[in-house]
Amino acid sequence: MGRPLISVRDLTIQFNTDEGTVTAVERVSFDIAPGEVMGLVGESGSGKSVTAKALMRLNAPNSFYGPDSRIILSLDDREIDVLALKSPSDLKIIRGGAVSMVFQEPMASFAPALTIGSQMAEALMIHLKVSKREAKTVAIDMLTRVGVSGASSRFDQYVVELSGGMRQRAMIAMALSTKPKLLIADEPTTALDVTIQAQVLELMQDLVEEFHMAILFITHDLGVIAQTADHIAVMYLGQLMETGTTRSVIHQPRHPYTRGLLNAIPKLDELDAPLVAVSGDIPSPLERPAGCVFHTRCSEVIKGRCATVEPEIKLVGQDHDVACFAVELADEERTEKAAP
Amino acid sequence: MSESIVSIRNLATHYPITGGWFGPTPVVRALDNIDLEIKRGQFFGLVGESGSGKTTLGRAILKAAPISAGKIIFHDGKKEFDINTLAKQDVLAFRRQAQLIFQDPYAALSPRMTVRDIIAEPLEVMKLTNSKVETNQRVREIASECRLDVEHLRRFPHAFSGGQRQRISIARALVANPSFMVADECVAALDVSIQADILNLLKSLQQQRGLTFLFISHDLSVVAHVCDVVAVMYLGRLVEMAPTRKLFAKQRHPYTAALLSAIPSLDLDHHHMAIKLEGEIPSPITPPSGCRFHTRCAYAQDRCKMEIPQWRKLDDDHSVACHFADELDL
Repeated sequence: MGRPLISVRDLTIQFNTDEGTVTAVERVSFDIAPGEVMGLVGESGSGKSVTAKALMRLNAPNSFYGPDSRIILSLDDREIDVLALKSPSDLKIIRGGAVSMVFQEPMASFAPALTIGSQMAEALMIHLKVSKREAKTVAIDMLTRVGVSGASSRFDQYVVELSGGMRQRAMIAMALSTKPKLLIADEPTTALDVTIQAQVLELMQDLVEEFHMAILFITHDLGVIAQTADHIAVMYLGQLMETGTTRSVIHQPRHPYTRGLLNAIPKLDELDAPLVAVSGDIPSPLERPAGCVFHTRCSEVIKGRCATVEPEIKLVGQDHDVACFAVELADEERTEKAAP
Repeated sequence: MSESIVSIRNLATHYPITGGWFGPTPVVRALDNIDLEIKRGQFFGLVGESGSGKTTLGRAILKAAPISAGKIIFHDGKKEFDINTLAKQDVLAFRRQAQLIFQDPYAALSPRMTVRDIIAEPLEVMKLTNSKVETNQRVREIASECRLDVEHLRRFPHAFSGGQRQRISIARALVANPSFMVADECVAALDVSIQADILNLLKSLQQQRGLTFLFISHDLSVVAHVCDVVAVMYLGRLVEMAPTRKLFAKQRHPYTAALLSAIPSLDLDHHHMAIKLEGEIPSPITPPSGCRFHTRCAYAQDRCKMEIPQWRKLDDDHSVACHFADELDL
């Protein structure tokens, strides 16, 4: 594998709040290669959106990054240290230039008082430095490309005039119009019907091939990205629990949390199987458990270990990493048996 | 004692849109020609995309949406209520029997009330208990049935996660001891990981209390796991209804088949996107002529554009509204 497009190392993000310092993300590391789709999965409160926003430096002013945190974006001609960017003109490259974002709620992402077209054109004029007329041509092309019917008349419409699926398409068109290298999609289909979700997922897959762009796809539903992602990273309370190729994570999930998430999905071919929730609720980030952050909900806790010592994320197979003592123990026992 | 708790005959709900100056007032045809029976103790699923009218139907049964034509009869086992002509003194009795669980547990609970007060409110409003001691006793019983700690009762909703809040909403709906509950997208706002927990709770309430549920959802895979019978709606009309297993084994309406194939699959080696739906649900103000689904149907023929398909029985428990249900192999 060549040089990753984006490389995140030891990312730690904390927030100063009235109730104290909250750790939202802790020592998270991952790479995304050019043209790769990476699925970031976890429950609400697991820190996936905060991680994604860090790539565009969109976190609130009360946030601060750990001293060892690094985010390196590698473009054709240069490397950008994302966390070191300061001036608004330097930040442009990660805010709509080489990195772009699609949000969950398209209604909240477009300004209601401006037309869709004027907002798209504005982005193009800033990032591609084109004239208003050229921007309009590019924007209409892009709207057509993502399947917005009658794109030239949609250009002059307001967001309230579009249906949910059309809004999400317009949102994707706007994000893609500057030809970003990395698209961050934060729960882009959660607010949509399954039929429209299927259309949008297919569209995103087509666009990856056409533009050779990488996607960081954030979701709480493993089912949604199983067909889309190349790699999956599972997050819980700000830490990575398991990462690997989609095939290894879906077919051989090792971490009890990943297995819990997979079991919780209602499956149509197993109607008799009981539905199993991941027991308990995600703790408040103000009350992070000691040791392994998942031990309060885990069914495989090792006494005297998980509640006190923090597991490190370790390689368990080809391109497959897990942070769990129970998995380590199982693997040790297996190798001992194999070598008498 | 009648077997059906809810019987609906030829129900229509139309909302006139005010503001039209010329010509006839436009009308949103939210529901048309709805015929269905919900049996006592059943977990009845209602599915469809947004805009299909499933929420309006749930509300019409609860006397929270207007009835333009047709009839809804609610029979709790002792007394019959005609929802169209419900007498004032009967409204309270009916409301006690039929309750609603909302979709968004973040919006449904008042942030200024403690969990105890939220759960106790129906008892106090309907004057169902004789003393505060009795109210507290009842609240504690219901809370433990919904797996909330006594400890939680003194707190305010903001301290709870989505799953816990939804359990509080369920406790509030349950406290007046209803016989029928409408659960409108009650797991849609929750993470997949805790969705199962709420579904299991509802299922156990059905089994232990003999409660009847109308479970409204856009998610067929959830419906498949909890419901006994499923009805599929499209643009204000029923398109197919059958016992869950029968429906999932073989769909007879192209829309049901399309909904099913749109569910994301964990099976990495098998993309079963057999039928793909193009476009979106049309406007209910000007629904397509004939079969309302014909604009998106892969099997549509000329007849579908002209003639409204009858809601008919294929056998004793499988109904469908499609001209070609007997011929199509879906």
